[in-house]
Amino acid sequence: MTERTLSGIGVTPLSGVGTVVWYRPDADLPEPPAPEDVDGDAELARFEDARAAAEDELEAERERTAERVGEEEAAVFDAHVQFLNDPQITDGVTDAIEGGLPAEHAVQETFSEFVEQFENMGGRMGERADDLRDVRDRLVRVLSDGERVDLSSLPEGSVVVAERLTPSDTAQLDPERVAGFVTVTGGRTSHAAIFARSLALPAIVGVGEELQSVEDGTEVVVDGESGDLVVDPTDERKEAAAAAAEVDIRHESVETADGVDIEVAANIGTLADLGPAVDRGADGVGLFRTEFLFLDRESPPDEDEQYEAYVEALESFDGGRVVVRTLDIGGDKPVPYLDLPDEENPFLGERGIRRSLGPDADLFETQVRALLRAAASADGANLSVMLPLVSTVEELRAGRERFESVAADLDSEGVENELPEFGIMVETPAAAFMADRFAPHVDFFSIGTNDLAQYVMAAERGNERVSDLGDYRQPAVLRAIDATVSATEGEDCWVGMCGEMAGDPDLTELLVGLGLDELSMSAVTVPQVKAAVAETDTADARELAERVLQADTKAEVAEILTLDQ
Amino acid sequence: MERTVTVVPEDGLHARPASQFVETANSFDADVQLGRADEDDLVPAASMLAVTGLGVGHGESVRLVAEGDDAEAALDALEDILSTPEAKQ
Repeated sequence: MTERTLSGIGVTPLSGVGTVVWYRPDADLPEPPAPEDVDGDAELARFEDARAAAEDELEAERERTAERVGEEEAAVFDAHVQFLNDPQITDGVTDAIEGGLPAEHAVQETFSEFVEQFENMGGRMGERADDLRDVRDRLVRVLSDGERVDLSSLPEGSVVVAERLTPSDTAQLDPERVAGFVTVTGGRTSHAAIFARSLALPAIVGVGEELQSVEDGTEVVVDGESGDLVVDPTDERKEAAAAAAEVDIRHESVETADGVDIEVAANIGTLADLGPAVDRGADGVGLFRTEFLFLDRESPPDEDEQYEAYVEALESFDGGRVVVRTLDIGGDKPVPYLDLPDEENPFLGERGIRRSLGPDADLFETQVRALLRAAASADGANLSVMLPLVSTVEELRAGRERFESVAADLDSEGVENELPEFGIMVETPAAAFMADRFAPHVDFFSIGTNDLAQYVMAAERGNERVSDLGDYRQPAVLRAIDATVSATEGEDCWVGMCGEMAGDPDLTELLVGLGLDELSMSAVTVPQVKAAVAETDTADARELAERVLQADTKAEVAEILTLDQ
Repeated sequence: MERTVTVVPEDGLHARPASQFVETANSFDADVQLGRADEDDLVPAASMLAVTGLGVGHGESVRLVAEGDDAEAALDALEDILSTPEAKQ
């Protein structure tokens, strides 16, 4: 059999090998028997039992999702329970059964009517149609008892293939048994994609209708990095993918082959990201994006809520450093309860430290209080704080003074506090140029490569027309990184990197060679980067970095890096 | 007993506010119905399908009609949800 490849959007940089299990929750039911052959009372009882069982499932999945993914994602299950118990639904199904239909057909018919109604209304009502379909398919699955694929008890090594996967579907998947999943529809930010990343499952979405041609029981390789689904793979391909999938998770810290310590940490947004970060062996947190504590809600978290969040992050790692970035609001991160100005170029406008020292001074003060208190907690010595989007020494000084004056306030109130390790993000060309002037005032730099590449290259993030320019392998971006690290020579200032570049294992040797002390990334790639660090020799890495810095073009950079593999 | 209320939540009677509204309506004995303030048609407040199906947006006015022993308490609780910017989590 010859190997063939379908492509979609890879959503996790992980590979998996397995056997296709098609999940078709909306497959047609068999023809119903004649009405006179249907026992109405028995069917009503079956419906009632199924409804109770479905409600139990929903409650359990709500709990699990709240724990694994977050409260926001879990709330959808409350709506599902309400649809399940809706009088219009139960009356409709009861009428249909009394009219001579078996329970599953009655459910199908009743729900489908409402699904159609909601779909015709369009817009946001369309989302409700998805919820209704989801509840319908759940009831039909419970009623058909074992005749449909049950996502919660798949054979080991299954690759789930589906038109799409709903929150209900993904909540049932057992990540220990599933080798990955692939869907016809969906994008990088679809529910299924977010779920795959939080559980570190290889996954590809948005393959398109071609996926229908892949049959049940086919062997496939899911490459969640390239987005390639390899059907009927050759043995070599399977072995390579299996080897890639079997990256050892190292819970201990890692050093290069010649014994230089490199900290490998995880980027987190919410506390739900802590579990996967610990599971994947991160040494600590290299970037806690605290703005996520402020998004998707109607009022900001208060001092105690923030304090508890920071302490929880600190307690999750056994002595591991937790780098908290103060609020980075503005740019592409709107917050409903803040009156954010409508700016023509939000990425060049009032964001990050500019807002914390300006209109968001009160929010900033609350955050600083919580951070100073957290630094005095049991694991507080591991807390580091950094300011986002700094471009002048004045901003750094003003930010630092805020910490000092708030600490004095806390002292006078008799509240225990400590000044944490203090640093800045290097993500503007100004910060990279002035790094030697910043270095004496800070304990560390953390290079934010996503923004640094955007600002150095004047190429907007997420704009596909200029994505080649905004690539972190552009020589100008590499020089900005080199300039930042070089500026710390002779200073007591370590340099880390957060951003996608840090999580690219193909670049680990280069980054070590450029002199970075810490790399922080999405939890998924921590094991690969730790493995890459262990294989790196710092002398070779420095030599590689020197050659790369001589390159004229991104293509040359890529070529040097490929030859080096 | 009836009351006219302006819908404050940003999402209108959709998603979480709708979910809370229906849950609250179900927690009272009173029979509650609602409709757009300028229309005569009413739907049961205890039905998620009916409530979201109305498609009431932010800033629109709705009419709440309640009958039963705890009608007033039910109206108070429901009005509270409709006039809070976002349903409490």
